[in-house]
Amino acid sequence: MKSAEDLNRVMEAYSDLVRRICFVHLKNMHDTEDVFQNVYMKYLLHEGSFESAEHEKSWFARVTINACTDWLRYLSHRKWVPLDVIDEEKEVLDHTSRGILEIVLQLPEKYRNVIYLYYYEEYSAVEIADILGKRENTVYTWLSRAKGILRDRLGGEWA
Amino acid sequence: MNAIRKSMSDIRASEELKQNTLRYLKEHQNTAKRATDRVFPVFRYALAAICLFLLFGTGGYAVYRKPVSYISIDVNPSIELGINRFDRVVSAEAYNEDGQDILSHVTLHNVPYIQAINKVLESESSYHFLKEDSLLIFTIISDHSYSMIEELSANEFSQNYDTLMYSSDAFCMAEAHNYEMSFGRYRAYQELLQYDDSVTIEDCHNMTISELHNRVENCQHHGVTQNQEDTQDQDGSRHHGECHSHHN
Repeated sequence: MKSAEDLNRVMEAYSDLVRRICFVHLKNMHDTEDVFQNVYMKYLLHEGSFESAEHEKSWFARVTINACTDWLRYLSHRKWVPLDVIDEEKEVLDHTSRGILEIVLQLPEKYRNVIYLYYYEEYSAVEIADILGKRENTVYTWLSRAKGILRDRLGGEWA
Repeated sequence: MNAIRKSMSDIRASEELKQNTLRYLKEHQNTAKRATDRVFPVFRYALAAICLFLLFGTGGYAVYRKPVSYISIDVNPSIELGINRFDRVVSAEAYNEDGQDILSHVTLHNVPYIQAINKVLESESSYHFLKEDSLLIFTIISDHSYSMIEELSANEFSQNYDTLMYSSDAFCMAEAHNYEMSFGRYRAYQELLQYDDSVTIEDCHNMTISELHNRVENCQHHGVTQNQEDTQDQDGSRHHGECHSHHN
């Protein structure tokens, strides 16, 4: 079991990553809090060690995505994200960001994951495939389809 | 910084969220630790088995072993799973060589059925059947087929592949087994037969499930035949079971 120092360190290091993954998956802050606690509890009970900071970070990304998926399944198989998560963040989001995120959150779940990991965390397709437990070609296909949808809806200058 | 990165940069974990989480972990970590320490995994299973035995006795074991629902998975491998009332696989039968190959590599007995389907689709033998555009057909026989369809639809494989779901019935299954065919494939054959009565069961054996489905779609796009109209006018009795499709 991890120490309190470890816990404080990873809370500072990865809480934003966990929060953003929750944001692209979950309905509201209440769900986010539950998943947040689950993810950090898993860390607390995780008995393996991490080879590097990158390994640790990708562990958090993978565990959070899985925790969100499990949570959505638990909530009667809902596979959509209502836009009230955006309302909850309206104080920090400007008009442009709000518009972009509304489109991103309407993407299917698998596309939301790759878009977030690729554009925000700047993981490569190979690394995303590893995090999601998918084949590299699948990730390339998802990325290309997701980019296509975003291009259609946001216009050519979106990225 | 691209637009997506910029739009997300303001989404951050608040201090309140972090502090609430730390407080929660502090309050619950000892309980969680005790729970994991107290019972070794193997011992936990043994305990569960003993409880089940005490609860149900040998009659309970018979109940456990009895399938109450069936799922036919047709990719090109054709596999039928028998599922008990606890949603666990109690029988697995392959209806072609590809299916046999998969079943020789994965163990599905006593596994929750969603997990079992994942194991089938993730097995090495499935790799050369499953492409991005692969068609997965699930056919279900159950008293609660709608909830099973819902559960299957929520699963990741339904999002990753082109998936069709149907419900069928025990009569269709019995007929299918007479022809040594999964009831999923047989249901597709019956559907094709509505449009093209020249197709034989041997033809169906030689077609992949995608080919079968494509022929049905072709027939649907080109309109129904007179023969089918006649059949439907009678009472639609060639159509065994309901064919509720659910397309992801």
